Amino acid sequence: MQVVVDGLMTSYELRGKGRLVLILHGWGDSAKGLKELAGRLAKNYQVLALDLPGFGATEAPKGVWDLDDYARFVSAVSSKLGLEQPYAVVGHSNGGALAVRAVSLKELRPEKLVLMAASGVRTNSRVKRAFIKFIAKTGNIATIWMPEHYRQALRKSLYGVAGSDMLVVPALQETFKKTVRQDVQADAVALDVPTLLIYAANDDAIPLADGKQYHSLIKGSRLEVIPEAGHFVHLDQPQKVAALIEDFLK
Amino acid sequence: METIAVIFGGRSAEHDVSIVTALAAIIKPLELTKKYRVEAVYVAKDGTWYWDEKLKDIRMFSSGEIQDFLHRSHPASVQFDGGMTLVKASGIAGRKQSRKIDLVFPAMHGTYGEDGSLMGLLDMAGIPYVGCGTSASAVAMDKVLAKEVAFANNIPVSKFLAFTKADLERQPGEAVKNIENSLSYPLFVKPAHLGSSIGISQVKDATELRHGLEVAAHYDDKVIVEEAVPNLVEVTLPIMGNDRPQPAMLEQPMTQPEDFFDFETKYLQGGKKGKGKAGTKGAQGYSKIPAEIPEEVYVRAEATGVAIYKAFGCSGIARVDMLIDEKTKRVYFNEVNPLPGGLYAHNWNRAGVSNVELVQKLVGFAKERHSQRQALTTTFSTNYLQQF
Repeated sequence: MQVVVDGLMTSYELRGKGRLVLILHGWGDSAKGLKELAGRLAKNYQVLALDLPGFGATEAPKGVWDLDDYARFVSAVSSKLGLEQPYAVVGHSNGGALAVRAVSLKELRPEKLVLMAASGVRTNSRVKRAFIKFIAKTGNIATIWMPEHYRQALRKSLYGVAGSDMLVVPALQETFKKTVRQDVQADAVALDVPTLLIYAANDDAIPLADGKQYHSLIKGSRLEVIPEAGHFVHLDQPQKVAALIEDFLK
Repeated sequence: METIAVIFGGRSAEHDVSIVTALAAIIKPLELTKKYRVEAVYVAKDGTWYWDEKLKDIRMFSSGEIQDFLHRSHPASVQFDGGMTLVKASGIAGRKQSRKIDLVFPAMHGTYGEDGSLMGLLDMAGIPYVGCGTSASAVAMDKVLAKEVAFANNIPVSKFLAFTKADLERQPGEAVKNIENSLSYPLFVKPAHLGSSIGISQVKDATELRHGLEVAAHYDDKVIVEEAVPNLVEVTLPIMGNDRPQPAMLEQPMTQPEDFFDFETKYLQGGKKGKGKAGTKGAQGYSKIPAEIPEEVYVRAEATGVAIYKAFGCSGIARVDMLIDEKTKRVYFNEVNPLPGGLYAHNWNRAGVSNVELVQKLVGFAKERHSQRQALTTTFSTNYLQQF
């Protein structure tokens, strides 16, 4: 379904009945990537899953956004649809960082929070960022002779090796840079919401160490480590992840 | 050997669908006839025209190589020299390559392609082309005008109201009030000019209606709000011909009224699957051919489709969508698609027309219409200028 929010055509799915659960996807993903989880939760809850601006079928932001802009936008979507504050927010990857920031800004006031392979702990990534920057600058010059198609493909794969999603959505490169600089650890410390942390044992994008860091920062939080799963933990181990969330939301 | 230019792509949301229509349903069968030299003319999303043999290969588009091609190729231009000639730089010592075109086969869907824009250009060039003319295309692609034409020809249409974007922005509350006073929920809110279900909402209360109006006005400067037809059976009828239209088979897309085709279902997911029943997979997904409806209703729907085709002044080919109330057996006009996706070749095949026969017939209709138009007097001598 579609609705216009702050001038942006916004795509969302709202289904199920009961207390509201809001699902926020990660960078380069869309609501579709969390469809299975949303469907399962919709058996007991009303579930709102939206495509964040620039992803899926939602228009890209008209300027360069940070997590605060995304947080305000999510709140505006919920208001536009006439929904109350969510009972729970489930965020994956960058959607997790967004959830933490949105709760800290009081744009969202959930009773429970679920962070799946959430990003937002940025301190460990300084070396990686410097590496990406180096590759990007030198790569631009070194590949100037190549056909554009191969050049783009090579850049994409290099950024992939460096663990960066920057080229996943080329139109959002500046927004990406602004977003990944935003560390939400201070926001996590201030959280006063029961929080379930779900991290994968084999996540190449967001290391388990970030989950442990969140666990130490968010008081009363619970950390669950899922073996044999990667960054898309909810797709690699759908039953386990859904069961953990359902149990936590009871 | 005659030269046919197939023009596809374009600045439309249906750009990618157009590529498949052109390469699979038009260029390939035209080449199989061995009667024509076929030139592929691709209009990129930014509106630049390209002309090259390599553009006939679907892998160019499916692999993403097209970006590289566009980056290093010279755009083509069109010369109006009492006809139409394609021109491009050959890359050898600045020499130009040109090709005189005898006939154009437009393969563009939606805005700037199916809405009469391209046809207007070809009319100006004075060259024969396949499919509906400028005015029929323009009327067909305006849902409000189309309904008014159908209504004026005593063809039933569901109750509707139309608004301009300016009206909706100035007095959104007034529009909602007018709609609620005149029409009954559930309603469909649609951008007037867009195809492929883009920006369409099905609404059942005032809040959804307000949102639906905003969504439609985001895409278009004219919005139509229609009552839903109850007990709905959707049917569609491909038709070809000029003065004596020939219908194919009445086809029934296998959807439920509550989950009408959106763009994703229609094109991105390969269509809806038919709930366990056998169906034919066409451009819009699975469907029943022929439609499983009582014979009297089938006959009436077919006659209605042909009547609409004539009323709109369609020529060459078009597809007429109709809505049937299963209980009252009333047939309503829904819309006309001047260039059906993939020419609806799957349906024509069932009606006994092969892909090759289909394109040959369409080329024949294009020539017939062109000759008829050539026979008309459009200029005449006056002594007007001698007065000055």
